[in-house]
Amino acid sequence: MTGSPLIQAIHDRLCGANYGDLSTPFKVAGVEFAFTGAMRGSDGRSLDLVLLIDTTTGDFGDRDGGRVRQRVEALSRALDVTGSRYVVTVILAGAVLAEGIEALSETCRVLQVESIALDDEGKPADETAVRQLDDRIRVLLPLTLPVPLAEIQDGGGTSIEQLIRALPAGMSMTLVDAVITASSAGEQAVTDAVALMINGAFQPEVGEDQS
Amino acid sequence: MLKSLDINNFRSIRGQIHAPLDANVVLVHGENGAGKTSLLSAVELALTGKVQSLERADPGYEKQLLHRSATQGNVLLRTLAGTSEQSFRAALNAAGAQSIAALDDQRAAFFRERAFLPQSLLGQLLQLYQDAGNDAASPLAQFVAKLLGLDQLDALEAGLKPLADVRNVRKNVDGWLAAENEKSQFDRLLSDQRKTRDGLNEQLRSTVRELATLCTVLELSVKVQDETLDVVAAALSDSNDPKTFAQVTDKQRRLASIRREIDAAQSAINPNAAFTPTGADEASSAFARWEAEYGERVSTLRSRVEDLLPDVSLPSDPEQFAEAAHVRLSTELKQLYDRASQARADIARHTVAQDERDVAQRQRDTIDEEVTRLSKSSGSLGAALAELTSFIADETCPVCDRDFGEVSTVPLGEHIHSKVRMLSASAERLLTLGRTRSEAQVNIERLNREIEAIAARRLGEEALAELDRRLASIKLLINELETINETLREGGRLRSADIAARRAVTQAQSSHVSLASARDTLNDFALSTGAPVLEEGESFEAAAVRLDVLLTSQATRLEERLSMQRRGADQIATIRSLVMRRKEADERISVDFSSWQRVEQALEQAQALREQGNVIRSAVDNVRSAVIRREFNDRLNRVWRDLFVRLAPGEPFVPAFRIPESSTLKLQPKLITEHRDGGDAGGTPGAMLSAGNLNTAALTLFIALHLSVPRELPWLILDDPVQSMDDVHIAQFAALLRTLSKEHGRQVMIAVHDRQLFEYLKLELSPAFPQDSLLTLELSRGPRRDSVCISKRFSFKEETALLVAA
Repeated sequence: MTGSPLIQAIHDRLCGANYGDLSTPFKVAGVEFAFTGAMRGSDGRSLDLVLLIDTTTGDFGDRDGGRVRQRVEALSRALDVTGSRYVVTVILAGAVLAEGIEALSETCRVLQVESIALDDEGKPADETAVRQLDDRIRVLLPLTLPVPLAEIQDGGGTSIEQLIRALPAGMSMTLVDAVITASSAGEQAVTDAVALMINGAFQPEVGEDQS
Repeated sequence: MLKSLDINNFRSIRGQIHAPLDANVVLVHGENGAGKTSLLSAVELALTGKVQSLERADPGYEKQLLHRSATQGNVLLRTLAGTSEQSFRAALNAAGAQSIAALDDQRAAFFRERAFLPQSLLGQLLQLYQDAGNDAASPLAQFVAKLLGLDQLDALEAGLKPLADVRNVRKNVDGWLAAENEKSQFDRLLSDQRKTRDGLNEQLRSTVRELATLCTVLELSVKVQDETLDVVAAALSDSNDPKTFAQVTDKQRRLASIRREIDAAQSAINPNAAFTPTGADEASSAFARWEAEYGERVSTLRSRVEDLLPDVSLPSDPEQFAEAAHVRLSTELKQLYDRASQARADIARHTVAQDERDVAQRQRDTIDEEVTRLSKSSGSLGAALAELTSFIADETCPVCDRDFGEVSTVPLGEHIHSKVRMLSASAERLLTLGRTRSEAQVNIERLNREIEAIAARRLGEEALAELDRRLASIKLLINELETINETLREGGRLRSADIAARRAVTQAQSSHVSLASARDTLNDFALSTGAPVLEEGESFEAAAVRLDVLLTSQATRLEERLSMQRRGADQIATIRSLVMRRKEADERISVDFSSWQRVEQALEQAQALREQGNVIRSAVDNVRSAVIRREFNDRLNRVWRDLFVRLAPGEPFVPAFRIPESSTLKLQPKLITEHRDGGDAGGTPGAMLSAGNLNTAALTLFIALHLSVPRELPWLILDDPVQSMDDVHIAQFAALLRTLSKEHGRQVMIAVHDRQLFEYLKLELSPAFPQDSLLTLELSRGPRRDSVCISKRFSFKEETALLVAA
């Protein structure tokens, strides 16, 4: 591995995502390929091949866009020849390469990581930096869905069910049912339903007065 | 997991095709029009009973479901859950589709909204960005509202809002204001009534107090209370005081009459000094003298008058007698005078009348003679002759046919004319005579009557002479009366003086007697009243005064008592009426109070309902903000951001929903873009993102929605979603699909039309671990042959290409 802290940070992040190192150089179809860094995914990503290119200080022709393209194309052809189903992703870390990146995109997946704020130990400096790094290579990272904790707490269900749960005990269920039924019909229906119920409290009294 | 699909004559698929679906990833490829959408729609039809994606485009889509050239068809989908297999099928005919077995409503809704992304839904999602409006009716707001299920909550919140302000409550609830008014009315009424009642109570108490003091003054031993009123009344009315008072009053009256008697007796003594007995004697002797002198004259005069006027009664008193006699005699005189003159006139007239009668009779006789001379029939003869003249033309007489010239020289006509004239003159004369005769007759009769009348009343010579004599004697009497008037007056005066003198004498005698008896009476009286008798030197006056004072004091005391008793009785009556009024007031109060309670209760109930309404509303608020917060800010936005960044790593602006957390009346969501690294928000996505990225945003939104809800069905079916993506994005998209399939347990089914893309996806989505699998379906059809679906299955193959260098 090289000494570029950025590459190191990316590498660490990918390790954190269960990517395993591939020692370079490696051989495909009898041809040796040397890259700044190479990693391979596991489990569902076991067909993912990730190449790390240091465009600022890298060797192996990393700093030249044309050369990078040539090498990646060569790898791609070698994989095709062997009928391999590996999918190649190239991470360009560092300064933006001059040209030829679009052409590279036709061969493989290209991800660019520009400078990330790093602290002394080579780790991303703060939360924002972590997120920025993640954003750049997110497609390689596993997708985490928010844990549905809240669901377990309220129990989920439709908003109406949540409402009923949220009501304090001792409510008059007739009122609640009436307004909920009316709520499908719109705002005025709710007002009318409530007014009707409140009026009901007066009705017997009115009847008595008249009698 | 979806297992297999059988389609028969559905939409553009002619004939039957069988498609296995039991792999983690299913790739469907077909040229345009080959039936990809039909295949995916068939899945929807089998699972939900209708094809909503088509319904969006054409409400009458059902008729188009059956393939044109067929009469009937069906779709059958089999699923596998663990070891149990389920079938969903629908039958097709010309009218439409009939679902025979489908998912329940909730899961069908999930499938339609979350699991299946047809072209039309993608278009709908895209429309969210087109419309910049964020009012309640904008597609965005509707989308969000539907998404969150907030429309019902919104209706609740808005509908319950009027309950917050009592003025709105009054407007909306008919009976509220009326009840409030009624209640305040009752309040006022009750307080008034209570005040009145308290006033009554006060009055009652004070009256009772007064009565109590009264009773103590009257020395009644009864206790004064509401219940003992009758006893008190009886005690009040039961005293002897009225009787005693009546007695005292009697005595007072008696004393007064005694005093009057005494006074009268005393006063009667004094004036009598004028009429001493000697005075009386003088008066009587004077009267006797007069009597002797004139008495006889007077009496003779009197007898004469009485002779003349036998039927008149004259008063005995001489003066009055004189006057009355004078008057009567004068009138008699006048009458006689009139009669005499009348008689003389009658005689004269009698002779004159007789003469006149003779004259009239002679006139009548003369008239009679002339009448007999004139012929009665001259009138009619004259008329006949006149008529005859019209028949006379010459001298020939119509009667005898002789020539009239032989008799007279006058022509016949003229002769007849003169005869006629003469006859008519006679007729006239006859009339006149008749009239005159009747006049004369009338005259005669009148005169006759007059003569008879006179004859009837004529007085004879002797009678007349008698009248004259009487007249003369009356005149004489009158003269005498006039001369005697003066003496008569003197006599009357003397007589009355005499009588008065005699009366005075008797009075003086009797008053001595009465004074003595008065003293006795007074003494008796004093004894009876319990006072000492008159002392020797005590005058009547003083004694009377003494007794009077005693009696008066007694009387006043008794009067006081009596008035107090009356007052007491009045007070008792007042107390009774007050008690009754208080009872009435109490009754009214209790009735009104129960009404007030009723109104109060009803108001309380209504208020309680209103409170509950408010509680519901605040609960709605809370739930709403919680839902928004949870659904959007915590979950959806986060996932959307993650997905979007995956697919568009070079795009610095990420779309997000901005929902105001505070409860506004209507949801007003905004679509904004945020800068990836934080910082200021950008504008709306429609302005900030390119068209391709907008597509990406829509697609990722769908997937984010799919991922943010509990996984009811583990399928993600996408119909050609990458139409305007460029290659860069497609590569990321493929990786995302892989992530979803391999790491999140979704069975992914995606249809594409581009062959290159198909091949690329085949590579990208190859099975990566032993349980993984991939199916590809190639659809094709021709104009005259049935549709064909060729499937190919790929399983996991260990990758050996990579040899790691040492």
